[in-house]
Amino acid sequence: MMRERKFKKRFCKYCESKVEYIDYKDVASLKFSLSERYKIMPRRLTGNCKKHQELVTIAIKRARQTALIPYIVDRKNVVDAPFETSHR
Amino acid sequence: MNCYETLFVVKPTLTEQEIASQVAKIKDILTREGAELIATDDMGMRRLAYVVEKQTRGYYTALYYKAEGSKIAEIERNLKINEDIIKFLTVKYATKKEIAQFEKMVAATNKNAKAPASKETAAEETVAQEA
Repeated sequence: MMRERKFKKRFCKYCESKVEYIDYKDVASLKFSLSERYKIMPRRLTGNCKKHQELVTIAIKRARQTALIPYIVDRKNVVDAPFETSHR
Repeated sequence: MNCYETLFVVKPTLTEQEIASQVAKIKDILTREGAELIATDDMGMRRLAYVVEKQTRGYYTALYYKAEGSKIAEIERNLKINEDIIKFLTVKYATKKEIAQFEKMVAATNKNAKAPASKETAAEETVAQEA
């Protein structure tokens, strides 16, 4: 008996566009894999493949280190428009 | 010689000339350590995502260079000592894919640095008619 698929099949958008490396300075593209509280979104929600999820994770952590994106967003530390000044 | 990229953030309280001199200072350190500076990406004044040393803004600069691995410690030590630099990060580009990305970014920054580059001269079309 075939079980019906519960979820829509997701594709890794990085695989489709053949991305080999994700630059941590390109904040706008990292936003895809971040929740609204700037947590890293899990693979099951974004549909990224394992290879690209690892690249994304490294890029996000580097961006956090250099204060390009916040570590945490809570009531004390509200970021209204963190991407207002993107270069290029 | 490995490919490296160093991003650093200068304090926003300095004047423009002081910021420029800080960037020049880092470049001097690179040349002193025998590094080959390939490209400079001036990202300009940006808002920081969180408060760093009581500052909410910072002047970002990224340097792309080739250097000996043993020299990185000395370069980072100099960045650490400098009180006008509030953040820095050095990334090594080692594998084939990473080096390809490195060259891509260098090309992009060089392209951006130049003022609207002159358009390619319209290719002259010579139609050779063959009987």
